[in-house]
Amino acid sequence: MFKFAFTDLNQFIYMEGHGIYVWSVFSIVIISLVLAFIFYNKQLKKIKRKHSNE
Amino acid sequence: MLKKLYHQFASPKTYVVLVDKIYPIIFYTSLITYVFALIWGLAFAPSDYMQGNSYRIIYMHVPASFLSESLYIAMAIAAAIFLIWKVKLAAYIIKAIAPIGALVAFLALVSGSIWGIPTWGTWWQWDARVTSTLILFIMYLGLISLHSSFTNYEKADKFISVLVLIGSVNIPIIKKSVDWWNTLHQPASITLTDKPSIDPSMLYPLFLSMLGFSGLIICLVILSSKVQIFNREGNKTWVKYHV
Repeated sequence: MFKFAFTDLNQFIYMEGHGIYVWSVFSIVIISLVLAFIFYNKQLKKIKRKHSNE
Repeated sequence: MLKKLYHQFASPKTYVVLVDKIYPIIFYTSLITYVFALIWGLAFAPSDYMQGNSYRIIYMHVPASFLSESLYIAMAIAAAIFLIWKVKLAAYIIKAIAPIGALVAFLALVSGSIWGIPTWGTWWQWDARVTSTLILFIMYLGLISLHSSFTNYEKADKFISVLVLIGSVNIPIIKKSVDWWNTLHQPASITLTDKPSIDPSMLYPLFLSMLGFSGLIICLVILSSKVQIFNREGNKTWVKYHV
């Protein structure tokens, strides 16, 4: 079950020509998640700062 | 006693205290699960005999599609709770879920479109599943902008709750669209009643990716709901002490 599905790293990135689609989706999902976490943590920090200044 | 419990858990203060305790557990467990599932699905799962390696998009697309519908169901439950029992926390949760729901619906649409290029030969098709998901995304955006357009928050909460309940009719349409209409989109591979049509070597990482992604999205909803609560209850003393 845990056998590397590709012959080497280049094949893993290229994925028989499908790498462009797979890695694009991967990047969009990961970047969106990271940005969402940063956004909400910043919002909470802003609220904290506002309350500590009062 | 039940009434006491209900009042206790309906309180934004109890909610914040509780989610602060469970947040790190959910976050780190989900993060590890999601990373593990993606490594398994992208590098170790075998390639598909028909779609080749493009099917690996499933590990990002299916969790996003599943969550875009599940979050709307969660909003509809919160809307019913708000309208029946006037629980303020439920209204805050609706407002907190809407942007996260829009994000995951957007991810489902974008990942589906990119997947469509190698499999359907087109990035967009006015297919029943794709169109109903686009409607769901527009509904999320509509709810966000409508709520922001009100100056009276109480009126906005009531109005949005009614709209969320009306809009929930779209969820069974999305779910059943692949059965009711002839669509390019494949029928559901995992159902509650039938044996999954995917091989276990591809199915297990899919389940894990759904689990991990769901946990991370729950964490985002927790953060978003805290922002809503602190903004709306900012004048209360417990908020000043808590933040």
